[in-house]
Amino acid sequence: MSAPGEGRELPSVGVVGGGGFGQALAQALRRAGRRAQLWSRRKLDIEGVETTQELADLKRSELLFLAVPSTYVADTARQLGLHLDGEHLLVHVSRGLIGDDLLTLSRVLRRTTPAHRTGVLAGPLDAEALAEGQPTGAIVGTRFPEVAQAVREAIGGDALRIYESRDVVGVEVAAAVVGYLALAVGVGQELGVSPATVAVLLTRGMAEAARWAPSLEAKADTLYGLAGQGDLLAVAGGDERPEVRLGRAIATGTSLEEAGKAVGAHIEGVTIARRVHAYASKIGEQTPIAGMIADVVERRRAAPDAMAALMARQVGTE
Amino acid sequence: MRVPRAIRAFVERPRLPRLEPYVPQANDPAIFWFNGEREDIVREVAERVAADHGRSVGALELALNDCAMTEMRRLDSQGDDEARRDLGQWRALSRHIARMSEGEQRRAVREVTTRFAEDVAGNFDPRVYRFAIRAVPRLLASLMQPSQLPRALTEGERVLDRLFGVEGDAEKLQRLEKVGSLVYVPTHSSNLDSIVLGRALEKAGLSPVVYGAGKNLFTNPIISFFMHNLGAYRVDRRIDASLYKHVLKTYSQVMIERGYHSLFFPGGTRSRSNMLENKLKLGLMGSALSAFAHNQTRGVDRRVFFVPTTINYALVLEAETLVEDWLKAEGQARYIIEDDEFSQLDRWVAFLRKVLDMQAACVIRFGDPVDPFGNPVDDEGHSIAPGGQTIDPASYVRRRGRATLDDARDAAYTRDLGEVLVRRFRHETVLMSTALVAHVLWRRIVDASPGADLFSRLRMRGEVSMAKEEVVAEVAELRDRLLGLQRKGKVRLNRWLAAADPAVVVDRALRVWNGYHTRMAARDVGREIVAEDPTLLLYYQNRLVPFATRVCGEHERAAREIAQLGLLS
Repeated sequence: MSAPGEGRELPSVGVVGGGGFGQALAQALRRAGRRAQLWSRRKLDIEGVETTQELADLKRSELLFLAVPSTYVADTARQLGLHLDGEHLLVHVSRGLIGDDLLTLSRVLRRTTPAHRTGVLAGPLDAEALAEGQPTGAIVGTRFPEVAQAVREAIGGDALRIYESRDVVGVEVAAAVVGYLALAVGVGQELGVSPATVAVLLTRGMAEAARWAPSLEAKADTLYGLAGQGDLLAVAGGDERPEVRLGRAIATGTSLEEAGKAVGAHIEGVTIARRVHAYASKIGEQTPIAGMIADVVERRRAAPDAMAALMARQVGTE
Repeated sequence: MRVPRAIRAFVERPRLPRLEPYVPQANDPAIFWFNGEREDIVREVAERVAADHGRSVGALELALNDCAMTEMRRLDSQGDDEARRDLGQWRALSRHIARMSEGEQRRAVREVTTRFAEDVAGNFDPRVYRFAIRAVPRLLASLMQPSQLPRALTEGERVLDRLFGVEGDAEKLQRLEKVGSLVYVPTHSSNLDSIVLGRALEKAGLSPVVYGAGKNLFTNPIISFFMHNLGAYRVDRRIDASLYKHVLKTYSQVMIERGYHSLFFPGGTRSRSNMLENKLKLGLMGSALSAFAHNQTRGVDRRVFFVPTTINYALVLEAETLVEDWLKAEGQARYIIEDDEFSQLDRWVAFLRKVLDMQAACVIRFGDPVDPFGNPVDDEGHSIAPGGQTIDPASYVRRRGRATLDDARDAAYTRDLGEVLVRRFRHETVLMSTALVAHVLWRRIVDASPGADLFSRLRMRGEVSMAKEEVVAEVAELRDRLLGLQRKGKVRLNRWLAAADPAVVVDRALRVWNGYHTRMAARDVGREIVAEDPTLLLYYQNRLVPFATRVCGEHERAAREIAQLGLLS
């Protein structure tokens, strides 16, 4: 990597992925006065942002945000990695967990790129708020303080408070769990359930995640912080994120494919709930809420039946 | 009786007199230059540590107070010669710290760090090294075959080399040691490890290394003599002062910066359970990474290569003591064990005689080296990225074009490196016959006691038996599955074991155990094999814990329970 700026000017920041969140990041960077480079497969034209279709162009940037769906992260990172070295800082914003063993994306980045100073950006930060500069907060999970500092320097400020956690896996797991629980909120809304029912669903959903997450070396406490419970409050408060809209569409009986098209975004949660349920069973933990969400998404069970079945389960101590 | 200072100094640091200083030859290994640099190294270490603690008056006072308090506490409880000699000095210092000026505190810190650095720093005598590489194999061979003393004395190396195999790409390591500092990071099962590894390096044509040895190893005068003259530096685990720990780390760092090849046991101490290390002590490993970063900030491009190494025994000298210690209740286990089989000559002789009739009773495997950031390196020492392209390792310590020192960053890299090494240990471990036979018998004990806790199973002495044919068949099946994993690069099998008749594998394991260990591990009673001592069987099978569920066949439930043992290590 060339030596950018040498203290005279801050180096540019790259964004990989031209979807809604990628574009919002580029706009936030522009607003913060940083030079932004945005890579997308399709040609984009965004005012004040250098757009490119060549990953090699991004090697000039010091910090890179990876904002592509988790299913494309490994391939994209592998290609991007050919142009990076150990000096680059790499932060992903995905809510995904890969494969049956729920591999986190920070581990995927570590295996596919030479950049080791990596992190994850998560929390109640939606594309719209980020693009418009509404006051909000987020969390960076990283073992490297300089990565958190670089993210703050790039997009943090008066309108965006960025917290830091060393529990990278915890932040990634929390983001993934929020992804599928948000689907359940949409389903619940369509069924007209009360806010109390949603509160029980979300609280117990996070509690069951706290049972299996430590096996991936995540700390349960992180799930109850900004990346998990904090983000769920935004969902319950009505932030109308794509996952909630998809959940509503599914509850009306619309096929997953059609609902996905209508929402217009890639939703990680639709496959994660099933894999979480299977993984937890494998290690001897029960995850009835994840299992039920998976059943509803896959149309194995009607949403009202699923809700009734959950309510009929034996109650234990908290 | 008061021992004269000169005699005490010789006993504590036995060295051979030398009339003229040794002048190293151009192709001598780096360590041959050590004695010429020793004084300078001690000074550099003491200066650096003192400077780190001397950035503020508060820090100086804190360091001195911490040091005086912890040393007084230690010496008070020791109550030995060292206490009588040093306790008064620490008490006097402790009384004066608060009244000292900044300059006096600075001088006091410097004196303490110099004293610690002097105590830690090793010595290397090429004459002792040359003697050791010739004499030690012959001595050990003589112990094993006293009836064939003349042959043992003349062909000791050959006798000893039959006992252990050395695997790995030695030629690559020979090339790399010319372009950087090698840091060997082996698994640790026995106090024999450093001796065995020293011989393995010699056998593989690799340079001798510097390494930290626990002060307890210096209590035996013969071992102490060799340790003192072969580059070992002294680590006194009883000293808790932060200044001392800082001196140790800095000593290791300075040695690597200067191009000395090093050895750390990253598990910190011998594996009590015989499981592969999965939690590493990162302090000394971090010193190697700091050495690389420090050199980069000074414009010195000296590479550092970590060599994950596994030391694999069919029979472990101290097995009984170690496993007992592992099974003790939390808080009662000992970090330093001084009275084990390693300190008993009769146990050494019994051990060496027992392994004599085995080929490759111990296998040392040098794994593929990695850079300080866990990247593999090619034959010339270039770091390789996951995409296959070469990358500059210096880029990992650069920010905005400049190499920097950053403790938090380097701690994160070291933790990542620790994870890489743990994975490498699994892939590079060489499984021996005793591990397979013990696994089959332990698995049967688990199968026979569903849901029982570990200690109930350990009490099942002589209660579980298997038909001999069944043991042989299960060992054969297990070996085939492990060979499958070996083909995928996930583990290694001892070469003899890979090809041997399974019935011979079982017989040999029983023969090796019974006759050396004071307790019988398993008894051959004609058509059956009785699991006599579940504790020893557990110890030997523990090497297989990470692979248990992948080689279990129909024994899935037992394998899952065995895999849970990994959480106890």
